[in-house]
Formats: sequence, structure tokens, C-alpha cells
Amino acid sequence: MATPLPAYVAQRRTDWDALQALLAKQRSGTLKLGELRTLDTLYRRASADLAHAQTFYAGTDVHRFLNQLCGQAYASIYQPPRERWPAMRDFFRREFPATLRRERGFVGASAVLFILGILLGALVVLWEPRGAELLVPAGVRHYVAQGRMWTDDILSVAPPNSVASGIATNNLTVTIVTFALGLTGGLGTLFLLVNNGVHIGAISALCAREGMLGGLLDFIAAHGPVELSILVIAGGAGLMVGQALIDPGELPRGQALAVRGREAVKLVLGCAPFLALIGVVEGYVSPGDMFPTWLKAGLGLVLGALFWAYLLRAGRTEAEATGAPADSAS
Amino acid sequence: MRSAPTPHLDVATPERVALTLPIAGIGYRCLAWLVDASLLFFFWLVAYFVFTLLVSDVLGVFQALSGVGQTLLVVGVFATQWLYWTVSEVFFHGQTVGKRVLGIRVVRTDGSPVGVYESAVRNLCRAVDFLPMLYAAACVSMLLTRQHRRLGDLLAGTLLVREERIDLDKYTAAPSTSEPLPQDTGARPLSPEDVELVLSFLSRAPGLAPEVRQRLGARLVERVGPDDAEARAAVLVSAESTEAFLRARVQGAR
Repeated sequence: MATPLPAYVAQRRTDWDALQALLAKQRSGTLKLGELRTLDTLYRRASADLAHAQTFYAGTDVHRFLNQLCGQAYASIYQPPRERWPAMRDFFRREFPATLRRERGFVGASAVLFILGILLGALVVLWEPRGAELLVPAGVRHYVAQGRMWTDDILSVAPPNSVASGIATNNLTVTIVTFALGLTGGLGTLFLLVNNGVHIGAISALCAREGMLGGLLDFIAAHGPVELSILVIAGGAGLMVGQALIDPGELPRGQALAVRGREAVKLVLGCAPFLALIGVVEGYVSPGDMFPTWLKAGLGLVLGALFWAYLLRAGRTEAEATGAPADSAS
Repeated sequence: MRSAPTPHLDVATPERVALTLPIAGIGYRCLAWLVDASLLFFFWLVAYFVFTLLVSDVLGVFQALSGVGQTLLVVGVFATQWLYWTVSEVFFHGQTVGKRVLGIRVVRTDGSPVGVYESAVRNLCRAVDFLPMLYAAACVSMLLTRQHRRLGDLLAGTLLVREERIDLDKYTAAPSTSEPLPQDTGARPLSPEDVELVLSFLSRAPGLAPEVRQRLGARLVERVGPDDAEARAAVLVSAESTEAFLRARVQGAR
């Protein structure tokens, strides 16, 4: 027969209290090196006590208390490596581009869907002019009918910095939603990609018919390449999630989701700062005629080329350079 | 015996002990969200008033600031919508303010704390969990999954565990010495269930109706008390003496 419960608690409680105090210190970051050893010892003792309580005092409050205490200690002792500045630098230097290259199949599929959407929208409007009434927002049609660009008025109502921040946050939200909709089995992402493509295609076709294609290109030349690339990458992330949901492969579905979700979110997190930067370009450079068209187009091409050069070259390993590694996703 | 099994997370530690952590259900999670949401709401209420004051420029000195103010407003709304959750979960060990108030915490499915990626996944998925309105998708998912996880948790491989506040003082509280009692040291030792039963009765006794208090006390004395009827009758004269006896009985084995 084990010791009676109150006697057991009275005997062991000092250790538990000490462990709790040390854990609080660890959490607030004031733990000293010497105390670390004590923490370890106390944790092991509490674990032994928990095993004892499981056997002799199952279902009592002492059991629950020890469970929780060991749970907290376990969480603070077996911490994953701190993901702070060095990890962040490493992420942008190597991990994000490498992830993108590994998942290029999904990004490619997303690009194909997006381009199909553009073609669909453009063809519909070119063949059947009244299709524009269906596919192009009324506000834009109104401007085009007057022969003006709807983007000309952006800067007359707000200063460029608030335009830039508004556009950047809006684009980030679209990116996040594109990724998160992967949880619908990829259908939501698919719809968003095609839908955005159809919109852009339809608007371009409408502008082309009204002879305003130059104005449209003038507006999107500077930010378009990078912004649309990022939309496509976010679409790829959403498709990854959808694929894990539909076809988890050899893992149980729950595990496959967790593994693929972790990979997919890297694409979204990696794109976020670039999207914020391109919002600045879209707010300051793209609207109005402060910069000539050739400068905007040149800037857009250079930014796009730099972005893709970074994605395709940064942190490339020897194995990747010589040939595709065996475990690359198709 | 335990009543209906509550959902829990089993963790096997390298110390070869199985941890069983209780999982936070839909009620805790909704309350925690409400706390966070109202916190953000009041923050924006204040920020909005400050902002309109700046823009209307009553004092005429903030002209240069209003553009900056607009930018901050837009960025701030975005930050509270998306960044607040992940930043607090990463820096405060899986807890936002609301989760801290409710005593719940985000952990991975193996019980370890969340990192940046997991937290980002589960919070970015709020976009889908919120659909079609007010987290309807999340609620359905929480009701249907065994461990009460919403869609974002499923994708991130995380769940929420509950932290209970357990008072150990009741085990070690000093016996009241107001009334000298016969210490029946020869009595059979109490089983842990009996101890737990008596202690939970003692902690609840002050709130019970007098007759219920008396009746429950008598039944417990019957279970753990002295065997001969005379001593038992002496103990049962009043609620105070009954509880004093029970307390002494539990503490007796010290």
C-alpha cells in the first residue's frame, strides 16, 4: 500500500512548488544557467511522481496537478529551436526559394490555371462584346466608355502612401485567402485563380477593343509582373493544401495536412514582404503620368526578372544544380 | 470512477511517462475569441477617435501627419486582423490575451509549443474558418472532430489544451485544533478515493444547505469513521464536529 495521499503531497510538494517557480522564471526569460540543472532534476522527479500518482492515486486532483505540471515542464524543456533572426535570414536566403523550386509543379499548375482564365476572359469579350457586361465591373466599364483610365483618379483622392498601404494590405489579404481556400479541397483556390484571370483577361480585351490597351499596360507594367507572380505562387500554395486533402499519399490524412500545410505556408510567408514592396511601386509609380511608360515597363521587367532570378537561383545547392534530387515533387 | 471521458491529448515523454492534457472545447475557444475580439474592438475605437481628431485637425498642427495617420490606420487594421494572433502565439508561448484569460494554450499535436509556421498556418486559415459568417465553418469542424480542432488547426497540426488551476493546499491544510478529538491512529488507512471524496466534501461544505451538509457528512463518517456506534454518535452531534473529525481523519496519516 502506498503512502496516504495527504502525507505524500506534504512530502513532495516543496519540489513541485520549486519546479513551478523555475518554470515561471524560464517563461519570463530570467532563468540562470545554474538553475537549469535544478529545473532538469526537478522535472525528472515530477515525472517520477506522476508515474507514481498514475498508479496509486489515479483520478485525484494530485494526479491532474502533476499531469499539468509535467506538461508545462515538458513544453519548456523540449522546445523547438527558437525561430528568430538567424532563422529568418536563413529562410529568405535559402529555404523559401528552395521550397518554391521543390514545389514548382504546383506553382506551374497554378500559372496554367491563371493563364487559362486570362485567355477565357479575353476570348469571351473579343468574340462577344456584350460579354463585358458580365465579366467587367460596372465602374470600370463606365470609365472605359468615357475613354478614360479608372486608375487616373486614384491619386486625386488619396496620397500615394495611403494608396500604397491600401493596395499592399488588399493584395496580402487576397494572397492569404487564396492559400486558405486550399482547405476546400483546392476548389476555392482554383476558382479564385481562374476568376482573377478571367477578370484581367476581360478588362484587357475590353480596353483593347476601345483602343485603350496602351493606357492599361502603362498602369500595370511597373507592378504587374511581380504582383501576378505572387498571386500564382499563393495559388500554388493553395493547390498544395488541396492536394494533401484529396490525396494524402502514404500518410494519414491528418498528418499529411499538417506536413503539407507547413510547407505551403512558407510560400505565403516568403511572398509577403515582396508583396508589400510591390504595393509601394503600385502606389507611387504606376498611377498617373509622372513617369513615362518606357520607364514603368523597364522597371516592371527588371523587378520581375530580379524576383524570379532570386526565386530560381538563391541558395541553390550542388545537387540541385547538377540534376533534380530524387525526392523532388512533380 | 471517472465520469464521461473528456477529450484529452496523450503525450509520451522521453521520461517514459504518459501525460494526459485536457483539451479546450468549443466553449473555451469561443470565449477566448470574444475576449480577443473585444480587446481589438476597443483598441480600434480609441485609435479611430485619435485618428479622426488628427484628420479634422482641430489644433491645426498635424497637417503633415494625416497622410502618415492614414497609412498607419490601414496597416494597423491589417496587423490586428492577421498579425496579432501569430505574433502573440509565437512570443507568449501559444497564448493570446484571450487565451491567457481563459487559461488555454495552443500546442502541436505532440504537446510541444507552436512555432512560427504552425501558428501562421492556423491563423491565416481564419479566412476560411470564418466562412460563411462568424466562424460557422470553424464551429462545425470543432463539433465534428474528436479533439475540437477547427480547420486551421487541422492544417497546422495544432490543438488547444486547457490549464486548470488546481489547489493543493487542501491536502496540506493544518487540521483545525479548536476541538480536541480522539486521534484514532489505529484505524485502517484511507484509500486515495476516500481522501479525495472527503476533501472535495470539505471544500464544498460551507456552501451547502444545512440538512444536506449534515446528511452528506454522516454518510462520509459512515464510510471512513469509527466502527463502534458510540464514537460515531459523538462525532455526529453537529456539522462542525463531523467536519472536524473528517479533516482530522484525512490528515491523520501525516
